[in-house]
Amino acid sequence: MSDDYANPWSYRLMWAYLFGVVLILMTPTFYNYYISLNEYGFGAANYEFTTGWYAAVFSDSLLVNAFGWTLMLGLVNLVVTVPLGLLAAKQFKRRPSQAWLVALMLLPLFVPGDIFASALLVFFKTLNGGFQELAALTGLTFMKGWFKLGVTTAVIGLVVYTVPYIFIVILITLGRFHPEQTEAARACGAAAWRAFWDVEFPQVKAGVFASCAFVMILTFNEYTRTAILKGGFDTFTTVLVSQMLNTGMSEQSYAMGGIVSSIAIAVIGTVLVVTMLRAGQTERRRRGEEALALPA
Amino acid sequence: MTASPQPAPSPPDAATTRRRGRSIAADLGMAGESRAGKLIYYVPAAFMTVFFLIPSLMTVIWSFYERTMFWMKPGFTLFSYINFFSSARFENFLMSMVHSSISVVICFCIGFPIAVFVRKHVPPAAGHRVLLLFILPFMISEVIRIFMLRPVLGRNGLVNTVLMDAGLVTEPITWFLFTPVGVIIGDILSFLPFIIFAGFLAMEAVPKYVFEVCQDLGASRWRQFRDVIVPLAAPGIFAGAVFIFINGIGNAFVPNILGGPGAVNAGLIATQAIIALDFPLAMAISAIMVVTLMGLLYLGHRVFNLSRLLAPLS
Repeated sequence: MSDDYANPWSYRLMWAYLFGVVLILMTPTFYNYYISLNEYGFGAANYEFTTGWYAAVFSDSLLVNAFGWTLMLGLVNLVVTVPLGLLAAKQFKRRPSQAWLVALMLLPLFVPGDIFASALLVFFKTLNGGFQELAALTGLTFMKGWFKLGVTTAVIGLVVYTVPYIFIVILITLGRFHPEQTEAARACGAAAWRAFWDVEFPQVKAGVFASCAFVMILTFNEYTRTAILKGGFDTFTTVLVSQMLNTGMSEQSYAMGGIVSSIAIAVIGTVLVVTMLRAGQTERRRRGEEALALPA
Repeated sequence: MTASPQPAPSPPDAATTRRRGRSIAADLGMAGESRAGKLIYYVPAAFMTVFFLIPSLMTVIWSFYERTMFWMKPGFTLFSYINFFSSARFENFLMSMVHSSISVVICFCIGFPIAVFVRKHVPPAAGHRVLLLFILPFMISEVIRIFMLRPVLGRNGLVNTVLMDAGLVTEPITWFLFTPVGVIIGDILSFLPFIIFAGFLAMEAVPKYVFEVCQDLGASRWRQFRDVIVPLAAPGIFAGAVFIFINGIGNAFVPNILGGPGAVNAGLIATQAIIALDFPLAMAISAIMVVTLMGLLYLGHRVFNLSRLLAPLS
């Protein structure tokens, strides 16, 4: 058989190309670090290294408050989205013929944020009007503010945005799981929760933890949906964008961007290293078992 | 010898039907689940129906409503559509379609060879980890990534400095920013990984021996790519292309930051309509986008059989 990378240089060239593309995609992030470490900030003719802006981040109350709101949104989003993604993936695993479920879960990926956020804004305003009328008619005032723009509506927008990513991640993890194992646990008398927690979860926990990381990172990155659906409070990205478009970003904002980027890189780096170590360990174990099984 | 007539099979009795039902349920891992236990699996679908599908479909109805001072009222008018198609907005929409198409072609040229390389020449487990590298840029705020392109592509930015230091240009290039080129660059950097992921997913369904057979038959690399790889990976390429295309038309952030005053797309027009409190117009633009999207997906499903993409997942 002829190998289309018989020449080792063309093989190396392809790897260089691959890493080159990753590097280009990461260029804006690296540039953000560069600016955040400059004493004189963005656009200055002189460059003097400093870590002072990172130290000054927490003195910017606007940024810190916005960070707090975003963290809260991320945590609520995580609590809602990960179980939803897990349930949807399990349902598809149980009945792979349900292509409609996959379509429903993945379609939000294909609808641009601005367009969908506009539709959701009008939907919530309509729902809110409807519930207010209903409250006035029935006297049940507790339902008056259910869909008033605020944390609830922002979280719903974020859930619709993040569920497709989580669904894919967990579905891929579930790909290696055999439902017969759960069935065996149930046949041995385990309750549904016990069968899930003791049999299924240990096998899918890597996907679930990766999903948690994804939800937090995607929440911190999202601008459009939260900007349109959040109501009266600021989030991290809305503060950044308003600074960019109006006054120009503060040096603390670059530093905060650097912190968020570092956390994201650390999370993905950890996932990469852990999966590599685990894969290596599994491979060594498999080879060992094969060697033991061989006749002397 | 004469064949004796076979007795007609008797219909299964109730006990047999129950047994078969239990057997099927056991195969699916559902035996012993209560009705509530089974219903809980439909919660995600119900959530997405209420908060994604219904609003998406309602946009079509709202787009025919009449505009009021701060909101809209029920009625039937084509005013928003006439307003859209008879103004410069439609021209901008068409232009953004052209720009998005260019982004799709460039993303395909840059990204798809990576998907092919990883599938063909990297072991599967390592291949998935290599692809994780392309998730990294997504994990960093899009706001930061796009905004940082300004100093990178600007007159005195990184790219111009490198080009001038290398002696490739004598003067800084000014059309990288605040032109359609800036928008296309922004789209590529934002959405390139999607064609890599979707292409790789589609390629995973292609057995590796297909490539070996091609090589054994002496097909050149280009011939393999054109006649074997692209047709087999067509569903993935299409899915990635639709994602880039739709977001290129709809994502307002990129033209807002990199495009300058002349660069407008559907997302930006919709956002501007919301700001101007012209909700029916925003909904009409959304409806046009949703119909365009559904049409593209349907067409793709008919031509490329997108369900093939699900094969590796199920």
